[in-house]
Amino acid sequence: MTTYSLPLSKRKRAVKTRPPRDALFIAAACALGLIVLVAVAAAVIPFAGDPARIVGPRLSPPSAAYPFGTDALGRSVLARLLEGTRTTLVLSTLAVVCTAVISVILGLVAGYAGGWAREVIMRLSDVLYSFPSIVLAILIAAVVGPGQAAVLSSIVLVTVPLMTRMVSAAAMSVAKRDFVTTAKISGVSAPVILFRHLLPNVSGTIAVQGTYALSVGILVEGGLSFLGYGVQPPRSSLGLLIQEGGSYMLQAPWLLFAPAAVLVVAILSINLIGDTMRDRLDPRETRSLV
Amino acid sequence: MMSASHPDTDTAPVLELREVSVAFTSGAGAKRRTVRAMNAVTLEVAPGETLGLVGESGSGKTTTASVALGLKRPDSGEVLLLGEPFTRSRRANAGKLQAVLQHPHWSLNPRRKVGESVREPLTVARRDLSRSEQRQRVTEMLEQVGLNPAFAERYPHELSGGQRQRVSVARALVTEPRFIVFDEAVSALDVAVQMQILALIRELQAEHRFGALFISHDLGAVERVADRVAVLFRGDLVETASTEEFFRNPQHPYSQTLLEAL
Ligand SMILES: Nc1ncnc2c1ncn2[C@@H]1O[C@H](COP(=O)(O)OP(=O)(O)OP(=O)(O)O)[C@@H](O)[C@H]1O
Ligand SMILES: [Mg+2]
Repeated sequence: MTTYSLPLSKRKRAVKTRPPRDALFIAAACALGLIVLVAVAAAVIPFAGDPARIVGPRLSPPSAAYPFGTDALGRSVLARLLEGTRTTLVLSTLAVVCTAVISVILGLVAGYAGGWAREVIMRLSDVLYSFPSIVLAILIAAVVGPGQAAVLSSIVLVTVPLMTRMVSAAAMSVAKRDFVTTAKISGVSAPVILFRHLLPNVSGTIAVQGTYALSVGILVEGGLSFLGYGVQPPRSSLGLLIQEGGSYMLQAPWLLFAPAAVLVVAILSINLIGDTMRDRLDPRETRSLV
Repeated sequence: MMSASHPDTDTAPVLELREVSVAFTSGAGAKRRTVRAMNAVTLEVAPGETLGLVGESGSGKTTTASVALGLKRPDSGEVLLLGEPFTRSRRANAGKLQAVLQHPHWSLNPRRKVGESVREPLTVARRDLSRSEQRQRVTEMLEQVGLNPAFAERYPHELSGGQRQRVSVARALVTEPRFIVFDEAVSALDVAVQMQILALIRELQAEHRFGALFISHDLGAVERVADRVAVLFRGDLVETASTEEFFRNPQHPYSQTLLEAL
């Protein structure tokens, strides 16, 4: 029994003392932070110039005048990359916030109510989950029409099933604990139990699943815009830039390289951050589940 | 000892189960199995009395507790709390019944301060009290269970198992309920702490006169707190006797085996 009551602070410290994982985590957080900061700052102070303006000759390689080169129309690749990164991040983040709201509500209800409510919610998410994400995204684009709305709703529908499932599983295990039973006996209403007892105890799951959903969101945006169903020119996004770069891969590889590198680094760091969060939360969650 | 009417509210049972049966079905097709967790169980708990409920693992003790708390509807039979059947809304009975459950680690929300957990039943049952009056009540209650009121500001992981179980007792008593279920409430604690908690329950019962259903597979603990003992065997209530009589001269062969194993 005494192992249960090992103070939390000690556990956290025990995890923190593993240096390699920590160094990776810090590197990932810095990389992601830098990407976000630069992309957002460029919207406030357009230090890289106007992404829509033609600034020089077509397809000129990186140089002092054009740090990341120019594209097929002679626009600055750096300016377009910053705009594209921002678009992708904003769309994915917005979508993940929607996913979180939907999944938390559905997951908590499914986990707490059980019975047919859980059956219905789980079957529906199984159906959604059984589509390959890119197929689902194309279907949605066909319904709502290509554009940012298609990207948003695709990311939401692709990420909702998994997050709902995870939140519901976590909520179900919390709902079995004695403090929920005693709250019920005391006459506490279901919405209050969901909000007061379940939500705070599944917040770790929500955070971890949220980061994974974010990286899936970036990929879905990339795929959809790459296929021409997502963000439309003259705007830019990482997916769109990669698609444009692909057509000039041999003449102007820098067009493909820059957005691809940002995409890869962003996804890797987000997943790494998610993994670290999961590892840090797990000892507590398994401890309460024993 | 069935009691159709008690004119005196001081002696009318706080809880009555009449011929209550519960069966669980699990599995499907050929593997379908039915477990009869309670077979026509009849028992009652008087105010100020502790009924000890004993039996081996799987005999239906926790099922009986869920039925008595209105958490589980029986397949047949009647459940009366203070003479009334349970209504659909739990709010109607808020504060009249409480429970102290098995696991000291699961009994309190790890994300809430202890004081807030103790105050929770008041937020439903005593809406007439202001927040500060409720806090005052929490402070008194913590003192009654032998905890420094400063514990109200702590989180459960900062407490020992015994302290957490004291908090659970405070939480259960804060609304001055008429009926409390203790389901293996001391089983996870070491013997010295068990003794303290059992003494505490006894002392508080003498003061507040709640009726209690005390469930345990530990006959020693039951002997210490119970006025009467009921024995469950595979869902059947095989014997009910006063504690003294039960430990001196158990009637049913199963009770005799239980006592021999002690
Ligand atoms: N939700 C359920 N579904 C199916 N069977 C159940 C369920 N709850 C209890 N049972 C079964 O009913 C019987 C009685 O269970 P119960 O939990 O009441 O036993 P218990 O006396 O409290 O045991 P223990 O001392 O181990 O806590 C057991 O055979 C159990 O497997
Ligand atoms: Mg039990």
